[in-house]
Amino acid sequence: MATEQELSDFLRSVDKRAFKRVVYAVRDADAALDIVQDAMIRLAEKYGDRPASELPLLFQRILSNATTDWFRRQKVRGAVMQSFSDFEGHDSEDPVDLLDTLEALQSTEGTESAADALSRNQLLQIIDSEVQKLPPRQREAFLMRYWEEFDVAETASLMGCSEGSVKTHCSRAVHALARALKLKGITP
Amino acid sequence: MNHSPLQSAEAEALETRVGLLLAARLSDAPLPSDITERLRFARAQAVARKRVATATTDWVVSASGAATLGRGPGSQGGGRRWWAALGGLLPLLALLGGLLLIDHWETERQIQLAAEIDALLLADDLPPAAYADPGFLEFLRTPRE
Repeated sequence: MATEQELSDFLRSVDKRAFKRVVYAVRDADAALDIVQDAMIRLAEKYGDRPASELPLLFQRILSNATTDWFRRQKVRGAVMQSFSDFEGHDSEDPVDLLDTLEALQSTEGTESAADALSRNQLLQIIDSEVQKLPPRQREAFLMRYWEEFDVAETASLMGCSEGSVKTHCSRAVHALARALKLKGITP
Repeated sequence: MNHSPLQSAEAEALETRVGLLLAARLSDAPLPSDITERLRFARAQAVARKRVATATTDWVVSASGAATLGRGPGSQGGGRRWWAALGGLLPLLALLGGLLLIDHWETERQIQLAAEIDALLLADDLPPAAYADPGFLEFLRTPRE
């Protein structure tokens, strides 16, 4: 059973990422804060007696459900489902060389000068804005897999889809982001 | 276009590296102080709710144990759970025993009643066979003047 301290530490470790993930989905900071708070309280009340190792997956599931509930309440689920169909059709776009993107990203690591800091902030803003533009399922898969660092099986379980779908969503998301960075002139 | 398994694995590894680097940039972005403050408040509320939920569970378990078996909150861990389970079972056993006793008592009462009727019939001047006679039954039904 997770102690109060373990629960508190766990929540502290996930709260910012949870908030940003929900903001990407609902595009409303106040609503995102309410959803994250609800998810935290649900976790504490209903699953507070579970071992600390189970908390990450439980929390992500509760957070996803809470976000879906919010969409239901807002009666925009139809619009969300509509945008889910946006997955298809990206394959026909220009292919992008991920090695270039990798090099560009690595070249901004560990930089110290003011000019580099500025370019790092710009890069951060560009990535942030491009992640927001991803179709919801691609964004969800990308954030769970690379941000929350769940493995493919855990992400598939959380998203209620197959592992193959997770890999496809992630691949498309990474290529879409790399393409967007290239268009913005982020090259090595 | 078909890729060999090695090429697919390399492509997947490259995607994963790029994905992790992109996501790492997202984590670098600081949040406004009002948001971090509200998140801190949310965390504190969640921990407080856990405290209340735990305290309520403990109270229910110890109260049920104490009420049914006279055991106080002194009992510990697995022992407390065992006594609580037994406490829940005892009323059920008492109910079952009560039902069996009532059934036994009712059967005894019916046997005694039948015996009393038999005794009265046998001790009466009128032979029991008379009640099977249609004429005698008609005589009984006729109002007496």
